[in-house]
Amino acid sequence: MKSGFGLDLARPSRRHWLGYLLLAPAVLLIGLIIIYPLIVSVDISFQNVNIARLDQPRRPFTTANYERLFSSPDFWNASWITLKLVVIVSLFCFLLGLGTALLVNNKFKGQAFARLLVALPWAVPEVIAVVIFAWMFDSSFGLMNWVFIKLGFIDTTVNWFSSPVAAFAVVCVTMIWKGYPFVSIMMLAGLQSIPDDFYNAARVDGANAWQRLVNITIPSLMPVLGVTLILVMLWVFRDFSIIYVMTGGGPLKATQTLSIMTYEQAFGFFKMGYASAIGVVTLIVCVIASRLMIGRAPDNI
Amino acid sequence: MKRSTLHQTTLYAAVFLVCAFLIFPIYWLFITAISPPDQLRVLPPRFWPEIPRWEVFGQVIRERPILLWLGNSALAAIGSVILSMTVSVLAGYSLSRFRVRGGQSLGLFILTAKMLPATLLVIPLFGIFRTMDLIGSLWSIILAHATLIIPFTTWMLKGYFDTIPRELEQAAMVDGCSPLGAMVRVILPVSAPGLAATALYGFVLSWSDYAYARTFLTNAQTNWTANLGITTMKGEYISNWGDISAASILIALPVLIIYLFLERYLVGGLTAGAEK
Repeated sequence: MKSGFGLDLARPSRRHWLGYLLLAPAVLLIGLIIIYPLIVSVDISFQNVNIARLDQPRRPFTTANYERLFSSPDFWNASWITLKLVVIVSLFCFLLGLGTALLVNNKFKGQAFARLLVALPWAVPEVIAVVIFAWMFDSSFGLMNWVFIKLGFIDTTVNWFSSPVAAFAVVCVTMIWKGYPFVSIMMLAGLQSIPDDFYNAARVDGANAWQRLVNITIPSLMPVLGVTLILVMLWVFRDFSIIYVMTGGGPLKATQTLSIMTYEQAFGFFKMGYASAIGVVTLIVCVIASRLMIGRAPDNI
Repeated sequence: MKRSTLHQTTLYAAVFLVCAFLIFPIYWLFITAISPPDQLRVLPPRFWPEIPRWEVFGQVIRERPILLWLGNSALAAIGSVILSMTVSVLAGYSLSRFRVRGGQSLGLFILTAKMLPATLLVIPLFGIFRTMDLIGSLWSIILAHATLIIPFTTWMLKGYFDTIPRELEQAAMVDGCSPLGAMVRVILPVSAPGLAATALYGFVLSWSDYAYARTFLTNAQTNWTANLGITTMKGEYISNWGDISAASILIALPVLIIYLFLERYLVGGLTAGAEK
């Protein structure tokens, strides 16, 4: 079946000028707004640049930014906080996301509606999620102080945003609330791809609900679980808006992750060369971590 | 029979409790908005106001430049979605149908671009836009948001085109269509639902951005997007939580509505490129 244009879409090797032509605009745009900026940021991370301007002559090459970075306690502090945040938020997103998915995956009337509700926070913009939780954890008339006093967890009202531990906890809660629906949605999709036959066979063999969960559900979910875990961790690792709007990285740098530190250095202190160095390190960690965890070629990410 | 009724009841109770607990923050935002301001400063808190002040939404629109912010957000989102969709539709189609030298590496690069931290990219973009004198203009946001959207939309669309049988184009070409004509007249119309879902997904990505707006637009008040505007309300000396909540609801509403339509397609968007 040959068309007049010498193109047969059913043939396995189909090189054609049209293929290149269709890719050209994307290549051009991505080159301009992603690749070129990336090159610029690696470039200025090796220069002593305060405010990035492209129409100025290059500064001399220096590794000072990286030397300063690795000897800076702030950097190691930020790395530690980022790690803590990634572990805690991902863990709870998973428990909550998997739990809600298993619950809503049961067959009942109104299931579609429950599915919709349970993942609703996904659709709330991060900044609005911060507004909600900043108000709920308000020091004077916030709901949570009242609830926790009623429950006997605390004796007097807590000023959540001036204590390092408390502020970190509120950031975690906000991120978990914003992040778990993603896990839920992914797990539900995974659950629905498990054939009913598996469960029927297990029932015939007399497996109880717990055994079915451990021996069928969890193993079948493993591939989705892996991808989801990486995507959640990368999200926490790179997130800026929630922490920046909520605490600005404070108090006493208790919530200053690598992303916040990068931004503060670039647009708070106008040390863009130094900030780019932090950003480049962050990117390298992102790429390596996701590769290691997937343990496969990057085309599966 | 009795046991299964019991089982059903427990299930409903559990679903209700979990949903209520998880959705409570959204409910609380709503209650805060419609409560009279003095009721927000009493303990114990009231979980439903005696006299709901529904007029708060109209009032906050009159007193604050909410409509301006929403308009700017909409312009930025529509602009970046049009830009991203134009290049992504073509690229996604090409990646789906052609074997182009370097096409696969481009696809991989686009995929890894999803991992770029915005806080890294924002620095060189700031330098570039400063040189081009775009800081403070919505164009800076449109271009910056395209860096967020293109990696998602390209892979979503490639995945969508992969599900459409090639026989459709072959038939069209037998009927005398050019390859380009087959794509425009046959494949794109068939893909309309996928295109719409992808565009809406891009809209949500743009609408939710804060980092780029904060960096490029802070000194240009008339171009503030909704998310940037709301943070300035939160930063005021005395936070008026009632007004902030009302404004937040107005800002979240478009995305919440899109979510209701998009839910079916969401998994495709979230996992775009995740599986082969």
